[in-house]
Amino acid sequence: MSLTLIVLLPFIGAVLPAIMIRAGRNACATATGSITLLALILLMAKAPAVISGEVFQVSYSWLPELGLNVTFFLDGLGLLFATLILGIGLLIIIYARFYLSKDDPMGRFYAFLLLFQGAMVGIVLSDNILLLLVFWELTSLSSFLLIGYWKHLPEGRQGARMALAVTGAGGLAMIAGMLILGDIVGSYDLTVILQNADLIQASPMYVPALVLILLGCFTKSAQFPFHFWLPHAMAAPTPVSAYLHSATMVKAGIFLMARMWPVLSGTPEWFYIVATAGLVTMVLGAWIAIFKHDLKGLLAYSTVSHLGLITMLLGFGTPIAAVAGVFHIINHATFKAALFMTAGIIDHETGTRDIRRLGGLLNLMPIAGTIGIISAASMAGIIPLNGFLSKEMMLEEAWHTMWLDQGWVVPLLATVGAIFSVAYSFRFIFHVWMGKPRDENLPHHPHDPPFGMWGPPALLTVLVVLIGLFPAVIAGPLVAATSSAVIGGELPEYHLALWHGLTPALGMSVIAIVVGALLLMRHGALISATANLSRPDAKAMFDCAIAKLVALSRVISDNLHNGSLQRYLSVMIVASVAIGVSGFYAEPDHTAGTRELLDVSPAAAIGWVLLVVTSIAAVVMHHNRLLSLLLVGVIGLIVSLGFIYLSAPDLALTQISVEVVTVILMLLALNILPKETPKESLPGRKLRDGVVSIAAGLGIGGAIWAIMTRDLPNSISAYHLANSKIEGGGTNVVNVILVDFRGFDTFGEIIVLGIAALSIFALIETVTQGEAAKRLANWVVSNRRSADRHPMMMVVATRVMLPLSLMVGVYIFLRGHNEPGGGFIAGLVVSVALVMQYMASGFGWTQNRMKVNYHGMIGLGVIAAAITGASAWVAGLPFLTSGFVHVHLPIVGEFELASAMGFDLGVFLTVVGAVMLALAKLSQVERMAEHIDVNLDPMDHDPSVRIATPEKEA
Amino acid sequence: MGVSMLNLGAALPEIFMAVSALALLMLGVFAGKDKAFRTVSWLAVAAQIITVILVVTGEGGPAFFGQFTADAFAQFCKVMILIGSSVGIIMSMKFAERENMARFEFPILITLATVGMMAMVSASDMMSLYLGLELQSLALYVVAAIRRDTIRSTESGLKYFILGSIASGMLLYGMSMVYGFTGTTNFAVLADTLTGGDLPVGAMVGLAFMFAGLCFKISAVPFHMWTPDVYEGAPTPVTAFFAVAPKIAGLALFVRVAIGPFGSVVADWQQIIVLISILSMLVGSFAALRQENIKRLMAYSSIGHVGFALVGLAAGTEEGVTGVLVYLGIYLVMNLGTFAVILCMRRNDRMNEEITDLAGLAKTKPLMAAITAILMFSMAGIPPLAGFFGKFYVFKAAVDAGLVTLAVIGLVTSVVSAYYYLRIIKVMYFDEPVEGFDRNGTEMNVIMAVATIAILAFVFFPNPLMDSAAIAAASLFGQ
Repeated sequence: MSLTLIVLLPFIGAVLPAIMIRAGRNACATATGSITLLALILLMAKAPAVISGEVFQVSYSWLPELGLNVTFFLDGLGLLFATLILGIGLLIIIYARFYLSKDDPMGRFYAFLLLFQGAMVGIVLSDNILLLLVFWELTSLSSFLLIGYWKHLPEGRQGARMALAVTGAGGLAMIAGMLILGDIVGSYDLTVILQNADLIQASPMYVPALVLILLGCFTKSAQFPFHFWLPHAMAAPTPVSAYLHSATMVKAGIFLMARMWPVLSGTPEWFYIVATAGLVTMVLGAWIAIFKHDLKGLLAYSTVSHLGLITMLLGFGTPIAAVAGVFHIINHATFKAALFMTAGIIDHETGTRDIRRLGGLLNLMPIAGTIGIISAASMAGIIPLNGFLSKEMMLEEAWHTMWLDQGWVVPLLATVGAIFSVAYSFRFIFHVWMGKPRDENLPHHPHDPPFGMWGPPALLTVLVVLIGLFPAVIAGPLVAATSSAVIGGELPEYHLALWHGLTPALGMSVIAIVVGALLLMRHGALISATANLSRPDAKAMFDCAIAKLVALSRVISDNLHNGSLQRYLSVMIVASVAIGVSGFYAEPDHTAGTRELLDVSPAAAIGWVLLVVTSIAAVVMHHNRLLSLLLVGVIGLIVSLGFIYLSAPDLALTQISVEVVTVILMLLALNILPKETPKESLPGRKLRDGVVSIAAGLGIGGAIWAIMTRDLPNSISAYHLANSKIEGGGTNVVNVILVDFRGFDTFGEIIVLGIAALSIFALIETVTQGEAAKRLANWVVSNRRSADRHPMMMVVATRVMLPLSLMVGVYIFLRGHNEPGGGFIAGLVVSVALVMQYMASGFGWTQNRMKVNYHGMIGLGVIAAAITGASAWVAGLPFLTSGFVHVHLPIVGEFELASAMGFDLGVFLTVVGAVMLALAKLSQVERMAEHIDVNLDPMDHDPSVRIATPEKEA
Repeated sequence: MGVSMLNLGAALPEIFMAVSALALLMLGVFAGKDKAFRTVSWLAVAAQIITVILVVTGEGGPAFFGQFTADAFAQFCKVMILIGSSVGIIMSMKFAERENMARFEFPILITLATVGMMAMVSASDMMSLYLGLELQSLALYVVAAIRRDTIRSTESGLKYFILGSIASGMLLYGMSMVYGFTGTTNFAVLADTLTGGDLPVGAMVGLAFMFAGLCFKISAVPFHMWTPDVYEGAPTPVTAFFAVAPKIAGLALFVRVAIGPFGSVVADWQQIIVLISILSMLVGSFAALRQENIKRLMAYSSIGHVGFALVGLAAGTEEGVTGVLVYLGIYLVMNLGTFAVILCMRRNDRMNEEITDLAGLAKTKPLMAAITAILMFSMAGIPPLAGFFGKFYVFKAAVDAGLVTLAVIGLVTSVVSAYYYLRIIKVMYFDEPVEGFDRNGTEMNVIMAVATIAILAFVFFPNPLMDSAAIAAASLFGQ
């Protein structure tokens, strides 16, 4: 329980500072500090038991489906880190109280700090790796808030954003790694995972999991090549840098590597990735640190370097190296936090952090100076401070390590790293504290800060010295407990002591100190010598990478989504062709269909050729709209011939009548459109479109071929053929399906048709008013009209045709039930007959003679169909059940009268009404556009009128 | 409950909604047309709320002779859809009145589209699937172009219509192929027919075309082309609606089609989904990086989210489907919240749509900035916010199903997408403030607050969503 409380306290407490700030800055700091102190006390209460080897565990169910539970456990490693986080946290809280100026919103600062602290404690105490991930990202978030705390500094924002981008990305990569790990083991509990080292290392997914998890660790702990974000995050207030970038957040990666050490380490992959990254980081970070003039920059890179050192030790994979790593974690946290706080003191007191302007500060601020010098000496690895101890252990390990079978690589580079480390540490000591002040015009006159600011680092420095002198007494138990937790087994034989005799490591240390000191003496020369070396600026590279990404994004979105419908269509069609093709090839077996093919008759061949030629012609001549409309008409005609050829006379009839009606309606519409397509595509585009459409056409053709050459299983055709006569009373199966078997569908369809006609009416009604009407009124007729718009020949012919056509319509209607025909086709035929009258003599003349309410006609049709359907109810049958009787009429003979005929009548009426309504409205627009008066004569040049006139004159 | 029954009771919510839509249409026509906009809107919302109750308390079971089924999966999705569209209507009211698009048909069209979506997720036959889908699509085409007097809106509606018709054609074509090669359109019969065996090649091609048509509806790459233009061009509340309800319905339908009839041949379609998912995640994240218009950004973001959700479907397991449903639930809340924010980006009574317009929001409206930040972090999938769990669930399902590469690509793209979500936060918090926005409407504040609370509360009380999603997924797998 108290374990949970340790984690939760900072989170719960985070609201306190925000409230307490009203009671003053001291109250705020006290509240924050006491929360941390309370958590620390709870932790310390468990420390003795943990050090003696006990492990505390607590577990709550959260999302068991996901394997995500709130489980915490406390062992040596957790204890070490939790102590560091809470202990140093407490010191930072005290320090920050004095560091922050009156203008800084302190409540918010402490709230963020506590959030961060809680997240960090959560990481180190989590037993569930998913819970760990949650806390991991929480640290990214809260550190983002902390780094971005000083909003007025532009570097602050830049740094915050880059830090979040890099660590957040690493964290997301780690999620994948953890998922894989959990998948291998079958549990997300650390305690379970840590038992399964063999299983994990034998898994083929070991390397991906390792790489992904290490990505998270390396980004968080600023390891090469992700080391660049850390120095840029240093724009944050110094307490933040001290806390996040020395003691806690950057150690989270190290923590995780230590945590996972028992299961992930010991393989060549682990050694070469981790140890190499650590080694490179150590040398590189130290080298850059030498040239940093900003105090915090120097410390930042030194942190990078020391983290590299620890990473390298963990990477060696030997238990003794792990012990050394653990020991250095403690030592580094103590001296680096003290150093950061000292840097903050210098900044606070002098107003600058530029080493070139500082010097001789020891005399002005002796207390801070002493603290700084001792800590820096420890960083350099000077005997008898704690930094010396762990560095010795590191060098000792390096001495024994082979890298690609080369014994000299690691020791040499480790020594080089140590040399650089000595150089920058000495620089911190000599250039800042010793010598003479280099700049007399510092913003402030420096003096020692209040106790609140130097107390915390002083305490740490005391630890630095004590651990150095009495390592086994002060740090021994903790190191032992932690190391056994890291190693997960027997501790190796080691000895925490100042003096190990004349070892190679001691020699390397001596070399490091001597050469490092020499380097520093030639510092000026070194700087000018390296000034011209091009140093790759990681931040610039990061920015450049982002810019490249954005450019890539621009390429994708501009080329893919440029707003052009044609492009969208072609992408869709290409994609579906690709899907079809890949689906085709995914199937290994492509047997041909089993159906027998028909012989090619000459008529069919001619029809086919005609179809192809007209289709191609329609494409080629598409810019002339009239021509292409005619060609489309021809295509329709051939298609209906094709239906006849394939024994579908109904379809053929329907097709041809629909064809006629649509061509006429489209002709009307074409009249007010430009005669030619406005813009032609470029040849390249035409080629693209051609290829795409040919591919799509071939694909569709192939699919149709495949379907048509196969017998369909469970076809319903047989049922319809067998039952059409018996149940529907008709031998024309198509018509029986329409009016009987699927009568309900047809009923719905005629309603839709009626609605469509009414919508056309309503839409055009709005066109003839308002804005559109004005445009129509100002329409300039584009080309000359024929003087003989209503030619006599046509007028006479259509008049003669009218009764014939109507008769044909009635015939087709009546025979529909048994022979090809029916209400739909009849309706179209009659419509065509009527439309022809309009075309021949103009709208006005015809309208005056044909006073039919087409709205009513549509309604009548629907009602007729509905009544027919409903009449079945009278007989106690379901809606639309059809009945039929055989009637014998004298002259006509016997015929069948099915109730379906009433239904068909409804269809007929609706079709006629719909077509005529649409036509009437379209022609109205026409007349408005062409400014034609309603013509009252049947034809423009009436011969009878012309003859009559001379007679009158005579 | 036999399959061969009409069983209208199971479809009661749909019937109620359809009847209400027609009643509202009458009301609108006879009660002063657009003057009744507000009344009709609120009544439409009320109808949707009643429908939610009907859905939740409904008896369920198959209906319409096996064409329709109201199982737990359908219930779960319907509740999400109804939330999406009712909030969509609420969000649109004030906007519509301000922007001169307060037509009473608008809430009715949304209601009709919602009926279509509900029918879609309940479809257990290709016929009813298509009916629902088209009812939805036709209403949506009109809704996208509801602002007839602006070219952008009209253009987007037209594009949506043309491309959508082609997609419907593909879907129909695919369905006819499947029917041709298996002899049935019924999902249950299909599932029985296909048990264990391999899909015949024709049916495979047909399935691919069906998927293509469905991909269009959920704007998955490469059938997503309409999305950025339509999202940008349509009025913002319409975009908000588009981003949630139809997307959820489409994905639910996708899941139902893939798992229901074709659940036994996962291996045959898995690669298609994996490919679509990867492409969607890639385009969704990379193309979003450069967007300046926030609605366009949301378009790409939704493409990306669809990709993530499809990761769960690609797994083809019950766990994966649960993941998809959880993802959709969280996605719904995040998107509604985000669009409420976008709708509040109004300055001097004019809408602002650029990301830079958010500059300095942390100073001018700190609470709204904090809410937006939470929404963005959640969208980016950063733990411990709800968005993380959605992503995590689907990735976990994918890894468990052996699709490690897919999960890793998904994570890489979510890193990229995290970057542009963070950019919004950076603009709000670190950039110099521009002139402040107008006062937020109360309803927007409520929506934002509820969304944010839901996202935060999910962390502590995940079970309601998780458990019902699990039950819903189980019902799809016949348990």
